[in-house]
Order: sequence, then structure tokens, then C-alpha cells
Amino acid sequence: MTDEEALAYVKATAATLDLPLDELRALRVAANLARTAALARLLDAVPLLAHDELVEIYRPAPFPAAPGSVEAP
Amino acid sequence: MITADIIHKVATGEVSATEVLEQSIARIEATDSEVNAFTGKTYSRARAEAGAIDARRARGEMLPPLAGVPYAVKNLFDIKGVVTVAGSKVSRTDPPAAADAFLVRQMRRAGAVLVGALNMDEYAYGFTTENTHYGACHNPHDLTRIAGGSSGGSGAAVAAAQVPLTLGSDTNGSIRVPSSLCGVWGLKPTFGRLSRRGTYPFVYSIDHLGPFADSVEGLAVAYDAMQGPDALDPGSHALALQPAAGELMRGLAGLRVGVLGGYFHENAGPAAREALALAARTLGAEDEVIWPDAAEGRAAAFIITASEGGNLHLADLRKRADDFEPLSVDRFISGVMQPAAWYLRAQRFRRVYRDRVNALFEHCDVLLAPATPVCAPVIGTEWIDVNGVRHPSRPAMGLLTQPVSFAGCPVVAAPMWPIQGAGLPIGVQLIAAPWREDLALRAAYVLQRAGVACLKPAAALATTADTTE
Repeated sequence: MTDEEALAYVKATAATLDLPLDELRALRVAANLARTAALARLLDAVPLLAHDELVEIYRPAPFPAAPGSVEAP
Repeated sequence: MITADIIHKVATGEVSATEVLEQSIARIEATDSEVNAFTGKTYSRARAEAGAIDARRARGEMLPPLAGVPYAVKNLFDIKGVVTVAGSKVSRTDPPAAADAFLVRQMRRAGAVLVGALNMDEYAYGFTTENTHYGACHNPHDLTRIAGGSSGGSGAAVAAAQVPLTLGSDTNGSIRVPSSLCGVWGLKPTFGRLSRRGTYPFVYSIDHLGPFADSVEGLAVAYDAMQGPDALDPGSHALALQPAAGELMRGLAGLRVGVLGGYFHENAGPAAREALALAARTLGAEDEVIWPDAAEGRAAAFIITASEGGNLHLADLRKRADDFEPLSVDRFISGVMQPAAWYLRAQRFRRVYRDRVNALFEHCDVLLAPATPVCAPVIGTEWIDVNGVRHPSRPAMGLLTQPVSFAGCPVVAAPMWPIQGAGLPIGVQLIAAPWREDLALRAAYVLQRAGVACLKPAAALATTADTTE
């Protein structure tokens, strides 16, 4: 990602998110984003399989206790 | 008096909780104009809590485990009747908290006495506590230097002997970095061990809470007191209490201790390496262990942090970005703009990463690594040099902590004092497998008993006699 590409991305995304940015802030944000892009490339190089799912937090409801089992506190 | 002495002397009536509290308040009033650890004080509440402890003792009641111990909390913890500012200007106009945070309630139940709220990086996004709104927190061992962050006030308040215990949060190193730079004990428990309910969030996927203390015993007793399953925190995974304080005396029996090399060696400066070597010798650790994908783990933590943190504040960033901390607002905005592909890949990688990291503990019980690359930089430092490599100073403070918290492992940060620190402390991380805080605390206790990890009086604070001894 070149500096110009990063800045163009930031301006387009700011408009999409309805996030006002002046020119100086857009430049600083673009510099931040470009640094993060390097980290993202590092992760892109790690092979992941189709079944490597997201780590979990969400659950629809606590798992129901089986009859006779001890319920977690 | 250290925590254990306070507990003993209050329990035996040698000193009252009120007397302990007034000593703490006097110390805060004498030193905090220099340290700037506190952003709010709750002395009326503290006097009521201490008085209640003294009344219970007078009635002959059995006292709870932290009876009469003064403590303070990072100002992202809800304190009933106080606005939870989380280091920000934006949240100053929020209504006061309707109830204490879960962990504050646990501490109160354990008899601890809450004296105030502590300085931090805005919304926990930083490693230095150079807070523009509330002023920088100063390192008690050299007031020109940072205290670390984001729980800088929590580290500094213990180092300055203002209180023996504090609470903080750690997403990417925010307990371990200030512990390291201020020279105090810190514990980042397993992800999901302690409830986060009633604290201002930063990164839902990675936020942890934990204690700072003047001693390993203090750390363990506070940690035990705060445990408790909480079905109302979606990130709370512990289903039972697993007390650790009673395990400290078991020492190293049966423990296999390894030293992290590779990434953790390359990103550690000379003082950090010296401290690590001393800890390794003391614990009989000889085998070098390579932490899998450390750089990738840090990258994924960075991306998730920026994305979730930015998203959390998008509404305010739209309306009043100029009211945010200048040091972090551009990172928040950049984070909210990250492509979903980056975030999702980081969350998928985390599952693979967890399995690889957990496999390490089939061969080791405790792993050692430095907590920060260098000792505390001077406030305002923009760049640091680590073994000839130039790094931006503020994010570099988390180089050695981020890969570990991303895996969710429990870590004790031990305060060490290498010769190359020239009077400044630096921490060593004692890392255990998830849910094995007891093992990290046992190793920490060995370091403390050997005299190689400890607190030292804050020489920079000449205003009153130091009370850390």
C-alpha cells in the first residue's frame, strides 16, 4: 500500500462511515493504517484452513444441564 | 507495612484499620502532587469502610482476608456514585456509576478499603500514561520518567507506597508494563478468570483485570478474594474458585521452568536480559523455549485491539474527535477503518495460535521472559533503541507482553533491579498455562524469598519517610 493509496482509502472509508476528517488528520490516520497493513501482511502469510474458525465468545444461551448433573455456579 | 503485615496487625488489634487508612491518606497527600497517580479520592467511603472493619473486630467477629488493607482502582472501574472517566474527557459527563464493579464488590467483601481512582491512558489505549487530560503519571523511582501504562497510576501508587494494593486492566500489557517500569508485583490472570463487569471496556476479546501488590502474598490474597464466576460477563469463563495463596509455600517442587528465546531475546535490551538471566538462575531454568508465532500473535493482537477499540468509540469520534487524547485518537480512527478481512483473519489465527501456545505447556510449567524491552523512558520519549533497532517508544513498551496476553495465559510480573538498570526496575514475566496462576505465583514467591525480586523505596520521593519497608 503506497502513501497515496492509504490516504485515498482513509478518505473513502471516512465518507462511508460518516466520519469527518480534516486533511492533516487524514494524513496521520493513513500513516497509522499503513503501519497496520504491514502487520496484516504478516498474518496473511500464516496458512489457515477453511475449518479454522474464529475464536469463540458468543453463545446463544448457557448449555442446558443434563438431568442429575451438577449445574455450574 | 506490607500487605501481609497489615492483615496480621489489623486482625490482632495491634493497629486499627482506621490507623492504617490514615497513614495511607497521609502518604497520598504528601506524594501525589509529584506522582499524579490519583485522579479521584474516596476518603469518606474509605473511612466508613475502615470504621466498619474496626467495629467488627471490636465485636469479636472473624475478619475477612483483606480486612483493613487500603487499595485503589484504575479509573475505568465503576465506583458507586463516581463518574467512570476511563482516563477520558469525553466520559466526564457520564452519570455516576450506580453500583461498584464486580471486583470492587469482591474487594469490599474481603474487607479492603477503597481510597480512590487512579490515572491511566485514555480508554486504556497506551503503554505510558502520558495523559493529556489528567497529566502524566510520574515514575516514583525517577519523576522524569513514565510509569508505564495503561494502568500507570496503579503501578505508581504501589511503588510510591501510597497503597499496598491496586487494581488495573491488561489487554496487551497494561498491568505488566507498569509493574515492570515501576518495580512492583503484578498479576494478569487467565483470560476469563476475573469478571470484568462494571469496568469500562477497551477490547472485548482481550480485556483482563488483575491486581498490583507490594508482595507476592498480597498479590495472591487479592487475586483469591476477587475470584468468583460471573454469568453476566460474557468473557468470564471460570466456573469455580481456584485459590492460590495457600500454594505459595510449595516452592519449585515438580515445576519445569523454561526461558523464552527467539523473539523475546531479540526484543530485550541489556537490562532486561540481565534481569531475566538472574531470574532463570534462581529458578534453575536452563532450557530455551521458542514461543510459536510471537510476532504474528502481536500483529493479530494489534489489529483486534485497533478494530474493537475504534469501533467502541465511533459515535464520539464522529462528533468530537478533538476531545480525545491526541496521542491515541488517530489510532482509534485508523482502527475503525481497518478492513474486516484483517480483523477476521486475526480472530481465526487466534484459535490456531492458542493451540500452538498451549502445546508448550506439555513440556514446561512456567516460562520466563522480560516484561519490557527497556527500563522506563523519560516522559515524552518518541523513539527507543533495542539492540540497535529503532522502535517508536510508546507501542514498543508492549512488544514482549502482547503475544502472551493474546494467548490468554496467566502471567506474574516480578520486579527486578538489574545493575544495568542504574537504579531503575524492570520486570520479568512468569508465564503459566491457562488456569494455572498458582504455578506462576509459586515461582514468583521463590524469587521473592531469594531476595532477587522485590519492591524498593521510591528514592525520588523525598517528601516523607518511605514506608515500603
